[in-house]
Amino acid sequence: MKTDRKGSFTFPGGVHPSDKKNLTADSKIQYGFTGKESAIMLCQHIGAVCQPLVSKSDEVEEGQKIGENEAFVSAPVHCPIKGKVKGIELRPHAVLGRSEAIIIEGDSEERARRPSEGEDVFGSAFDESQYTSEQICQAIREAGIVGMGGAGFPTAVKIGINAKQPKEVLIVNGCECEPYITCDYRIMLEWTYKILAGVRLAQKVSGCSKVLIAIEDNKPEAIEAMSEAISKLSMDGKIGIAAVKTKYPQGGERQLIKSVLKRNVPTGGIPPMIGVLVLNVATTAAIAEAVVEGTALTHRVVTVTGEGIKEPSNYYAAIGTSVEELIDFSGGLTEEAVEVILGGPMMGISIADLSTPITKTTGAITVLTREQIGEAKFSGRQTACIRCGRCLLACPENLNPTKIAHAVKNNMLDLAKKYYISGCMECGACSYVCPANIELTGYIKTGKILIAKEKKTNAE
Amino acid sequence: MAARIRVSPSPHISEGLSTRKVMFDVIIGLVPAMIGAVYFFRHYAIILILTCVISSVVTELLCNLIRKVERPFESLGDLSAIVTGIILAFSVPPSLPIWAAVIGSVFAIAIGKMVFGGLGCNIFNPAMVGRAFLTASFGMLMTTWVVPATVDADMPTISASNVSVDARTQATPLAQSKEVQKKDIDKEIVNKQMGAMLFGEVGGCLGETSAVALLIGGIYLLIRKTITFHIPLAVLVSTSVFGGICYLINSDAYVSPLVHLSSGGLLLGAFFIATDPVTAPLTRRGMWVFGIGVGALVMLIRVVGEYPEGAMYSILLMNAVTPLIDRFCRKVPAGGKPNV
Ligand code: SF4
Ligand code: SF4
Repeated sequence: MKTDRKGSFTFPGGVHPSDKKNLTADSKIQYGFTGKESAIMLCQHIGAVCQPLVSKSDEVEEGQKIGENEAFVSAPVHCPIKGKVKGIELRPHAVLGRSEAIIIEGDSEERARRPSEGEDVFGSAFDESQYTSEQICQAIREAGIVGMGGAGFPTAVKIGINAKQPKEVLIVNGCECEPYITCDYRIMLEWTYKILAGVRLAQKVSGCSKVLIAIEDNKPEAIEAMSEAISKLSMDGKIGIAAVKTKYPQGGERQLIKSVLKRNVPTGGIPPMIGVLVLNVATTAAIAEAVVEGTALTHRVVTVTGEGIKEPSNYYAAIGTSVEELIDFSGGLTEEAVEVILGGPMMGISIADLSTPITKTTGAITVLTREQIGEAKFSGRQTACIRCGRCLLACPENLNPTKIAHAVKNNMLDLAKKYYISGCMECGACSYVCPANIELTGYIKTGKILIAKEKKTNAE
Repeated sequence: MAARIRVSPSPHISEGLSTRKVMFDVIIGLVPAMIGAVYFFRHYAIILILTCVISSVVTELLCNLIRKVERPFESLGDLSAIVTGIILAFSVPPSLPIWAAVIGSVFAIAIGKMVFGGLGCNIFNPAMVGRAFLTASFGMLMTTWVVPATVDADMPTISASNVSVDARTQATPLAQSKEVQKKDIDKEIVNKQMGAMLFGEVGGCLGETSAVALLIGGIYLLIRKTITFHIPLAVLVSTSVFGGICYLINSDAYVSPLVHLSSGGLLLGAFFIATDPVTAPLTRRGMWVFGIGVGALVMLIRVVGEYPEGAMYSILLMNAVTPLIDRFCRKVPAGGKPNV
């Protein structure tokens, strides 16, 4: 099948930050890297927090389930390395402040896991009809797979057939619209067949009749690799490729659906409500591993990048490795490094404590320098809103960011609701364009937290 | 190492725009008209522009000092006072005495902007506030038009004003058009001035006369995305539609809509004043309403009212209803209104 390499699919709004992918785009995924210890967070997903299944001094095996919760919306956690439980301690967490983690000390001789990547297992030899839907769903749940693009919603919960909301279209998200990050790009090149196997399994359990892999047109090699593999498997016509326009936040699932299918997901709703399932490419690869090889989600590809890193690179790293170790492995911080971000520069969260462990949703560690942040942003000085309307034009959700932010600033939460604060997906496009350097997204996030608190106190 | 590391809310990068850059772009956009003004009105233009800019900046500084703001010089850095000064100078007659220009600038900045709390908080366009004040206080000075220095001495000057200033004066094309309406002069004289108006060789306010220069500046702002096309287009279209209707109804009494478009500060207003972000609506729908309103009011004032110009008052009036427009033209989220 001939695929259009120039992305014609797009959505209204959005911004065009410089993508900075060249720092790591050609850096192959490096295997064989193990941290000294792993701190496995009990909360790495949306839903119920896991209860530890092991206690101090227990011997643990690679891939052993060490935390679980019976609740429907939850995902178990597993041990990435063979070793011993050092204890259950608080560790810094990017969002929650400090949170409980199971600390595993690895056996020194233990070698890092290396997954099967290529054609031999997942290529033409692979046949999804070997597995029943129940088997697939069970494997996904047992492996603790969550949305690896950042959301962290347990995949098993959303992937299965739901009689009330039948799914028709599966969109595989390979956009990677955040600047700097290349982990999804690398796996699209290196794990092409694994991704396709995962896609076929996901299609089977979800019952979708149509499958589209969406890739931004600044990654022509990935588009090429994917379509080549599809042809080789003679899956043309069954799995389509949609080259989408390079624009942030193209990889937001609501924006992606708008671009590819020209449909809107209701405000406050989720894609299954309109019969769409969106899975990140890394998630599909994890599904393939879980179903075919029975491996749990204990490792993931992480991009360590930014002008503040000496040797930016992509790693296949154990979940639970500390940010510090990964940075050291990449040659350490440069003199100019001033901000360490879990994730990309648009939506990532900056951390003060480098002992923070990475989780299932950490796709990148981006270290910025003062120059990249820019003088105005670095000084943090905000000036008055000149009502220029740039934030309104940039907002992919078609909101009025300045009005919402000002309502929150003046503590008028009801007014913020009137301007549909709940519709904000926190993409940061508004703050990015604001000439007055106002932290619009910051205010909006604060407003959402305040509203949630208000609801809680009202309920009590 | 850890001491250097800072935390901040996302996003962690920005496009690198600043209010100063936005205003600087507006100033660049005003340069063609400035060149036109200096070419047509020579020393009058230079003196007026400098006077207005300097007094605007000084007034803002004084206001900051009086308000005891922490860094009194900081707000000057956003260049908005300079923009106000230039636009005010552009919208007064070239022969305006220096003292009047100073008063106008002081009023524009102090009353038009600073009493509201500075840039971003003002309801009305400061330059238009200054101009309105001058018109109200010194009506005579504000309607005395110098003939551009480049016009031949023997060109007919119609209904020359009898105010004694040291230059030849003449009525603006629009003032003449009022007289056409009153059947005092033939409309052909006015319509024939079209060519001159495009380039600016006519009587009028300092920076309002050259349609071509203003258009070049406006297009620059559009290309730089400093302004969006909504307001200028809405103003121009609604002016031509309403002007066209009048022309069609009675082409003997009314001048052609083209004359309306290219004269009397309409282009300056459409591209540089009505688009002042602070005092125009935020939403695109609001911008359409705003622009159409300005155009309609301009024609209303020119056809029915006593003032031949009209752009200033219509913009000020629409500024006043901007908060209302913003309230009624709210944006609906991409996914529709949430059902909670
Ligand atoms: S981008 Fe900034 S200055 Fe412009 S309207 Fe939005 S908040 Fe105001
Ligand atoms: S308001 Fe929310 S959705 Fe809109 S641009 Fe800002 S952060 Fe993104």
